[in-house]
Amino acid sequence: MMTRLFLALLVASMPAIDVAAQAPAAAPAGPVRRLPDGKPDLNGFFQSDHGGANWGLEAHKETFTGGGRGVIIDPPDKKLPYQPWAAAERASRNRPERGYDDPTAHCFVGGVPRSLYVPAPVHIFQTAEAVVFLHERMAWRLVSLSRKEHLPDTLRLWQGDSIGRWEGDTLIVETKNLNGKSWLNEVGDVISHAATVVERFTPVNADRITYQATVTDLNVYTRPWTIEMPLNRQPGEMLEVACLEDNQDLQHLKDVRDEFRRNNSK
Amino acid sequence: MKPALILAALLLFAVPAIAHHSFSAEFDINKPVKVTGKLSSMRWSNPHAWIYIDVETDGKVVTWAFETATANALYRRGWRKEDLEPGTVVTAEGWHARNGSPTANTSSITLPDGRRLFAGSAPNEGGAPR
Repeated sequence: MMTRLFLALLVASMPAIDVAAQAPAAAPAGPVRRLPDGKPDLNGFFQSDHGGANWGLEAHKETFTGGGRGVIIDPPDKKLPYQPWAAAERASRNRPERGYDDPTAHCFVGGVPRSLYVPAPVHIFQTAEAVVFLHERMAWRLVSLSRKEHLPDTLRLWQGDSIGRWEGDTLIVETKNLNGKSWLNEVGDVISHAATVVERFTPVNADRITYQATVTDLNVYTRPWTIEMPLNRQPGEMLEVACLEDNQDLQHLKDVRDEFRRNNSK
Repeated sequence: MKPALILAALLLFAVPAIAHHSFSAEFDINKPVKVTGKLSSMRWSNPHAWIYIDVETDGKVVTWAFETATANALYRRGWRKEDLEPGTVVTAEGWHARNGSPTANTSSITLPDGRRLFAGSAPNEGGAPR
C-alpha cells in the first residue's frame, strides 16, 4: 500500500511546475461521444488543465503559487487589454492586504468563467433541455438550452444567467446578468457586472473538451479577449468540498488586512 | 534515475497548498520552515486539511499547524488516515505564516522511513488522465 501511495504521490508531484508553464499536449483526434440524438455527449467528470490560470491568465513565472503558461489566445500579444483604472485595481488586489477581498476566500462561488479553471473538478450533466455544471466546491450552474431571453437586467447573480445552443458539435453558452463581485483569479483580474461571457465547449475526442471563453466587458477592457484550455475527463467521481466547514484562512487574511489598516490609518 | 535524484528533483517542484485564497497574503515565501516532531493530530477538513505537529525545542513543546490542499486533493493523491497515525515522527516543510504564529503552508511531509508526502497543489491537476 505504501509503495502504491508513494508512486501515486510521485506521479502527482513530479510534473508540477514545468507542465504548468507549457501548453498541454495536442489532443489526439478521435471520435467524440454522442447521444442518441446525435449531439455530442458532454456528460462526465472533468477538470480543466488550467495552466495556473487561477493565479494569472497571462503567462507568469513561478512565485508562491507555481507558474502559469498563459491561457489567453486573443489578443495576439496574450495580454489582458486593461483600461488604466482597471489595471490599477488589479495591481491593488494583488497586494497582501487585499487577499481578504477575493470572494472565493469567503467561500463564494468562483463565477464565470473562473469556476471552470479553479483547481477543482466539475461534473457535467447534459439533457436535451439543459446542461448543468456541478462544481466540486458545492456550486452549480444551469445552462438553459430552451430559453431564448436572459433574465431581467435587474437580476444579478454570482454565476450569471447562462443560455446555450448547439452550433455543429460546439456548445455555445452566453452568460449575462453577472453581479460584478467576482474576481477572475487570486491575483485579482477584473470582471464587472457589464460583462458578457461567451463560452465554447468543443469535444475533440472521447475524453477531452476544448474550452474557450470570450469576455466582453467594456467597463474594464478596451476590447474583448479570449482564453482557451482543455477540459480532461478524470477518473473517480465528485466528492464534496464544504468550504465553510473549516475556513481558518479567512481570519488570517482579515488579520493581514486589519494590520495594514492600523499601520496606515495614522 | 536513482531514488535520491528523484527526490532531489521533486524538491524543485514543491509548491504550496494552493487552494482558494491568496497565499502570498498569509504566508511568506521568503521564510521557509522545516520542523520535526510528533504528529499530534490531523484534521481532514475543507477547504484545507491541517496537520498538527508537536515540536519540542529546549524542553518546551510548541504545536505547529501545517495547512495542506483540500482533503479531497489529498485523498485523490493517495493520502489515507491510517498513513498518518498520531505519534508518528514527521518532518514538515513549508512556508511560515506572516503573522509569526506556528502556522505554515505545507510543501511536504517526510515520514520516518524517508518517504515524502506532497501536500501542495499540483498545477498539472486536470491534465489528461494517465
